[in-house]
Amino acid sequence: MQLISHSGLATWLDHLAQETTLIAPRNVDGVLLYRPVQSSGDIVWDFVRPVLSVKEAFFPATERVLTIEKTGQQIRLNETVPDGERVIFGVRSCDARGFLAMDALFANTEPVDVYYTTRRENTALIGLSCNEMGETCFCTSTGGAPDDPTGMDLMLTEVDDGYAIQVITEKGAALLPEITLQELAGEIPQPVLNDPVPFPPMEAWPPQFNDAYWADMAERCLSCRICAYVCPTCRCFDVRDEPLPAENGSQHFERIRCWDSCAGEVYRQIAGGHNPRAAKGDRMRNRFFCKFYYYPEQYGPVACTGCGRCVDACPVNIDITEVMHAVQRLAEVEP
Amino acid sequence: MSYTTEIQATARDLLSSDQVSCVIGYEVGPRGRTRPAFIYTADDADRLVWNQNCTHNLTTYLHQKLRPNGYTSAPAETERVAIVVKACDSRAINVLVAESQINREQVHVIGVACDGVFEGAGLGRSDGATLQHRCTECGERTPVTYDTLIGEPQAVDTLDSEHDLAHLEAMTPAERAEFWLSQFDRCIRCYACRQACPMCSCPTCLYERDDSQWIGMGNGLNEKRTFHLGRAYHLAGRCIGCDECERVCPVDIPIGLLNRKLAGEVEAAFGYRAGLEPIPSPLTTILSGKEG
Amino acid sequence: MTYEPRIIGFLCTWCSYTGADLAGTARLQSAWNLRSIRVPCSGRVSPELIMKAFDQGADGVLVLGCHIGECHYDNGNHRTAKRLPVLHSLMEFAGLEPERLRLGWVSASEGERFARIVNEFTDVVRELGPCSWQQNGHRPQAVRAILESEV
Repeated sequence: MQLISHSGLATWLDHLAQETTLIAPRNVDGVLLYRPVQSSGDIVWDFVRPVLSVKEAFFPATERVLTIEKTGQQIRLNETVPDGERVIFGVRSCDARGFLAMDALFANTEPVDVYYTTRRENTALIGLSCNEMGETCFCTSTGGAPDDPTGMDLMLTEVDDGYAIQVITEKGAALLPEITLQELAGEIPQPVLNDPVPFPPMEAWPPQFNDAYWADMAERCLSCRICAYVCPTCRCFDVRDEPLPAENGSQHFERIRCWDSCAGEVYRQIAGGHNPRAAKGDRMRNRFFCKFYYYPEQYGPVACTGCGRCVDACPVNIDITEVMHAVQRLAEVEP
Repeated sequence: MSYTTEIQATARDLLSSDQVSCVIGYEVGPRGRTRPAFIYTADDADRLVWNQNCTHNLTTYLHQKLRPNGYTSAPAETERVAIVVKACDSRAINVLVAESQINREQVHVIGVACDGVFEGAGLGRSDGATLQHRCTECGERTPVTYDTLIGEPQAVDTLDSEHDLAHLEAMTPAERAEFWLSQFDRCIRCYACRQACPMCSCPTCLYERDDSQWIGMGNGLNEKRTFHLGRAYHLAGRCIGCDECERVCPVDIPIGLLNRKLAGEVEAAFGYRAGLEPIPSPLTTILSGKEG
Repeated sequence: MTYEPRIIGFLCTWCSYTGADLAGTARLQSAWNLRSIRVPCSGRVSPELIMKAFDQGADGVLVLGCHIGECHYDNGNHRTAKRLPVLHSLMEFAGLEPERLRLGWVSASEGERFARIVNEFTDVVRELGPCSWQQNGHRPQAVRAILESEV
């Protein structure tokens, strides 16, 4: 394994910022977000995780999927596939693991989502291992680890006099600086781990479907969408056509898709006004069943990477680890 | 007796004598974070706590308790609940009563003479020392309406609350526009501000209709600015300044500034501050004082 | 070509709109920049409509209603008189130049007053230049790029 010094890394990142679009954790008015940076000086190094996951760089909050031009009887549809190559630096293992879940739906299941997959192909991920887990992190309980390179192209881990570089993919190798790197002497330090939280197996979930727990737990839920929007794996969206300014005699529209969340009241409402998930308990239950039962059943991966963002962002302390504890406990009482 | 034991005793009494079906208060979750709690039996009253992390404005839950079938149906008249409020939260009770959202008789208000709540409370970011901005400016620490008072009424000097507004007001329009655009740019339209607000009680939010008539569904700056300014306008003369919207915002947009600005405008124009008495805002009524 | 502002006028049908007609029949010159929208009452002009006009690229918005005490619906213009100043201070606080929004009272017999207010207002807005309120980039990424390049 190779070693890059602190100054070597800064020079390399400056170079990347010049050559391509470099996205990295940045302090935006006091809020840490993945945003384009002009140089390595813009990058925040000491952090647990940015407020929003790196998901937004691949599956943005709003995306134009096509434009529609109507002139007389003529209708023209224009596809708007994203272009431009990007490098994202400072990706955490939990976020990269989120791509297992996102890819399962958008890339590995027909129909393939061209917007998402194009961004995935055009973007290289440089991971940054966590030296220790944050207070609410539980990645080790959902199959990950603070230094797990899954989904990365390069993986960096802080060592005494710089960063150890692990090359994961060819895309990653192509990014490496042209300077000669030293060989790393010694071992990479192991991250400090939190105690694991129980991870109820899939079969533990269905028997709890009608338990009173869901309504009780959800009573304090505000039905906002923070948990879904900060989540590295939540991928629900809504699609709508909206008008754009147009010349006289023609009409111009765009089709956009925007994040949506099953916690929101109208998410499940159908034509005519009926809402099969009108109760908050039903909506919250869906959120957790989706993560640990429906999604693995339908697509394979568990839709939680243990990043802990929802735990930290929820204004009323609805805690996914508490739910995992509760389901485990319920399953032990009534297997 | 500590506030916690007083609240627990009051709750136990109210529940065991069937005066209320539920007490809405605060508890401490397994992670040590203070959060809203719904207590239904006298035995459970031990879960209730009072501490300086009790930041949530629980009056936002009154709708779901007293109007379980939605806003368009009549209130559930037999239901009666108790609720723990701080001075700021108690003003929300008055506004909800004034706007006929709830009947005052259906709520047993457990008012707490509060010493202020901490920055980052409820989110695990409290340092246990720094008071929230609104608390450092709070002039009334005794609830304006209550059925049971926990603690002694306290008089506090009213402090100058204009300095952060003055900073913005001194800017040029272009600078202010840039300030707000960079703030609204971070918005992800999670609607947490609206959901946490006791005054945001429309069955369908104007800005979340499925016809895109007022604003589009997208996350563009036009849409986000219109949502925030529109919401601020809808709260003019109604906002009681609990700043929950600002606390819950995951990307720290200073929404409270907009609300304070308009509260100041309404006070200057009508000499009215929301929630001090159960009367509707003069901004939303006409000369006779009754909606025409 | 010199800059000409786009101005949206919300005119109460009972007075200001009729006042505009009178200005026309009296052959008074008033600025063509005004796009008139006839509304049943100035009280019908909700703040959302004004914000939407600016969102969609208006350089100025003029709301004209009946004089206080002359509302066809008794108190519609009272509501306008309360609402508009609050909206005005909000939009100013959010960065709109205050001169771009104006509320005025014009009766059906005041054709001359109508023309004068429209001309004055148009001159003021023309002087201010194009309004930067509308965020045409539409997608935040585009706007963000503009903001960052200015820093």
